[in-house]
Amino acid sequence: MRKLDRLSIGGLACLLVLVLFALGSPAGAGGDPDAIVGPRLQPPGPGWWLGTDNLGRSVLPRVMEGVGTTLLLSSVAVLVTAVLSAAFGILAGYRGGYLNELVMRLVEVLYSFPAIVLAILVAAVLGPGQTAALASIVLVTIPLMTRLVRAAAVAVAQRDYVTSAVISGAGLPRVLVRHVLPNVAGTIAVQGTYALSVGIAVEGGLSFLGFGVQPPQASLGVLIQQGGTYMIAAPWLILGPGVVLVAAILAINVVGDGLRDRLEPRETRSLT
Amino acid sequence: MSLLSVRNLVIDYARTRALDGADLEVAQGETVGLVGESGSGKSTLGSAVGRLLPRAARRAGGEVLVAGEPVFDLPDAKLRHLRRRHLGFVFQDPIGSLDPTMRVGNQLRLVLGRGGDVRFHLGRVKLDDPRVLRSYPHQLSGGMAQRVAIAMAMATSPELLVADEPTAALDSQVREEVSNVIFSLAADAGASILWLSHDLPAVARRCDRVAVMYGGRVVESGPAREVLGNPAHPYTAALAGAAPAAAAHGVRLEPVPGRPPVLTGPSPGCAFAPRCAFAEERCGHERPAPVRIREQDVLCHRAADLEPELSRRREVTA
Amino acid sequence: MRLLMWWSGRALSSAATLLGVSVLIFAAVRLMPGGFAETVLGPFATAEQKAELATRYGLDQPVFMQYGHWLAAVSGGDFGISMISRQPVGAELLARLPVTAELTVLAVAASVLLGVPLGVLTAVRARPGGGGAAGRLLSGLGVSVPEFVLGSLVVFVFSRYALGLKVGSWVPLTQDPAANLATMILPAAVLSVFAISVTARTTRDAVMGVLVEPYVTAAVGRGESPWSIVRHHILRNAATPVVTLIGTTVAYLLGGALIVEHVFNLPGVGSYIVQAVGRRDYAVVQAGVLLAAGVFIVMNVLIDLLVGAIDPRLGVLAGRRS
Repeated sequence: MRKLDRLSIGGLACLLVLVLFALGSPAGAGGDPDAIVGPRLQPPGPGWWLGTDNLGRSVLPRVMEGVGTTLLLSSVAVLVTAVLSAAFGILAGYRGGYLNELVMRLVEVLYSFPAIVLAILVAAVLGPGQTAALASIVLVTIPLMTRLVRAAAVAVAQRDYVTSAVISGAGLPRVLVRHVLPNVAGTIAVQGTYALSVGIAVEGGLSFLGFGVQPPQASLGVLIQQGGTYMIAAPWLILGPGVVLVAAILAINVVGDGLRDRLEPRETRSLT
Repeated sequence: MSLLSVRNLVIDYARTRALDGADLEVAQGETVGLVGESGSGKSTLGSAVGRLLPRAARRAGGEVLVAGEPVFDLPDAKLRHLRRRHLGFVFQDPIGSLDPTMRVGNQLRLVLGRGGDVRFHLGRVKLDDPRVLRSYPHQLSGGMAQRVAIAMAMATSPELLVADEPTAALDSQVREEVSNVIFSLAADAGASILWLSHDLPAVARRCDRVAVMYGGRVVESGPAREVLGNPAHPYTAALAGAAPAAAAHGVRLEPVPGRPPVLTGPSPGCAFAPRCAFAEERCGHERPAPVRIREQDVLCHRAADLEPELSRRREVTA
Repeated sequence: MRLLMWWSGRALSSAATLLGVSVLIFAAVRLMPGGFAETVLGPFATAEQKAELATRYGLDQPVFMQYGHWLAAVSGGDFGISMISRQPVGAELLARLPVTAELTVLAVAASVLLGVPLGVLTAVRARPGGGGAAGRLLSGLGVSVPEFVLGSLVVFVFSRYALGLKVGSWVPLTQDPAANLATMILPAAVLSVFAISVTARTTRDAVMGVLVEPYVTAAVGRGESPWSIVRHHILRNAATPVVTLIGTTVAYLLGGALIVEHVFNLPGVGSYIVQAVGRRDYAVVQAGVLLAAGVFIVMNVLIDLLVGAIDPRLGVLAGRRS
């Protein structure tokens, strides 16, 4: 087993910091996100380390709350995606037939929508809010993961040890859980990482447009949207949450790349 | 002066050692068979001749001289010039070594340059069907594709052709024909051949000299008839004894029980010692130096005192 | 013959997907709060209008018949009436399409002209174990900055400081191409950052996959120069995944354009959809979403045609999409 490279470890560390940052919010670190602490639209300074917003609230605890909302929402959504993709992908890949045809058709249909467009359609049906954001992330991330899990399951199903398990009388659930699932776990881990970064971006975009998480609750997208109005006078309103959002997505992508390189190392050659 | 001279070459991959101090000489016009099990370092040595190794490979010591030029120390432009002038390569996977998105005729034209006679070069490898020119590689049989690859390799009249198991992926009927094409083209051009192979009988029949690889080193080399008919290294003896039946079926050679070693660094002693019936205490921790037995160069501590024993065994089995 | 079979299969499959998309959108609109008549006509429609609509769409018929009527209308370009503007949605979309198309074309051009060379260059120079940390961080950054963050930042920087390019005050292309381009460069740049990065990463992966092919080793062994190998053997063989990606990218850009148009206040299809959702103008949402998905599907069929022309093994690899 190869170790994760340094960059991926840096990404993991960055994620850990963000999670601690988010956990600090309900614990009261950084202050009350809704308390008015000073004058309106103040640049960063003592008492309000990331500045104050248009109501005189400190931006720091609001960003902490926002990271928490965004990370929690995206993680829950990706968990749902992982469970559904694993179930549908493995069944479709292993059983084949009509089930496979049906699952792949559905996946193809969902895959045809640009992410944010699908999210908007979901928000239009469910009404703006957290549920819409959550459902959007699941629907946006499910097609790719299901496809890849299915492909991995198809490959596993043809291996000898699966055949011999079937011949020796193992039942379908046992074969799927004991033999197929462990072999598609790598795919799910890598895709889950990427799905998490997609989820954060989708939540951000949807909330930014006003159709996701609704104020007064803070999420990174909500904060950036609200900050946009006062951007010219108070750029720290979007810089704080913006930097945190990009850091979160970047950290997750870097970890995903590291995982992928570890699971399938690449050879290369020189042209000279 | 030798056309190719490999001296104490050491090649490392990320975690494994592929060549552990290999020596090899190929003279002008000579055909040399390079034999050994999978993993013995044959392919690495073959690629190293043209510095064609993947990026992960690193030369940890030694040198390769082609026509007196140090291949690993040449600037890129000089190296390309050397490859064009002196070297030709034919690989195991005939269809894979042709560009799948380019018609065969265009690939040949690319190699020959303006004014090259494509038909002539295809004729030299006994491909007269003009449809070949318009075909894509995946539309050819393995034998046809390998002839095309040979035509491309020989088009620039190389002085040394490195052929890495060029017939291993082919049907047994066309093997002979493709081998004939290679050897007769090389003989006409006065080119040397370094022939990497599992097929000992074919090597014995076609090559002037043979070099046997084990654990990243050439453990015995000399005239083909001598090395294969009267081996001086216990490994060669086992290989030659097991060869005819196994090689005839294209099976991987497995002359001795056990697996060939996977080295992670320099072998402390003789790499063959763990599998060797004649190993003694020093074989495990002392690297053998080359000794001369009759016409062979041998890497074995006991080569001299084993000579009568191995000869006797040959006579018994013969 | 086999190719023809493959193509008809491919066309049928795309048609089925498009049909599935239309069912999904039809169902979604039915599920939207307010009911169908209100969705299409708005809350202030008269009973007369509602009755007319009911006959036209066959609202008294079973659901699948209704779907049939709706599908027939949509296929004929009839997307209903916008609740806000009282104009046919189809005509309004058509009027706004050029802005979105221009943005997308500029971004695709940038991703091909910058992303492909960047990907080839980094792949050819790549070391095993994946390049330097700086390069990976930079390419990672490109795919990690969402349009709404970058867009907001660009709007701030260019509104606050006089940097030559203005934000806002959009000018139609037909009126003054130069002035139009000046207002489109920033949005297009914001939109293309992701596309350029993804194209570069995909190109890099594809080229690295080709680099280890035996025919590249063979070309190196023949002493061909790196540039010649890239031009003759690598570009064409690495093109399939890159071209496929560009098809997907176009669809992604349609989504990104929606955000960028909103941020830069451009009168394109995307900002139209965003406004429509905010105003519950569902006929517009429905049409816009259908358009986006339709473009993606059609794009993919075109891409397959192109890939078939690039790679003669297509017939052999026909199963590659499954």
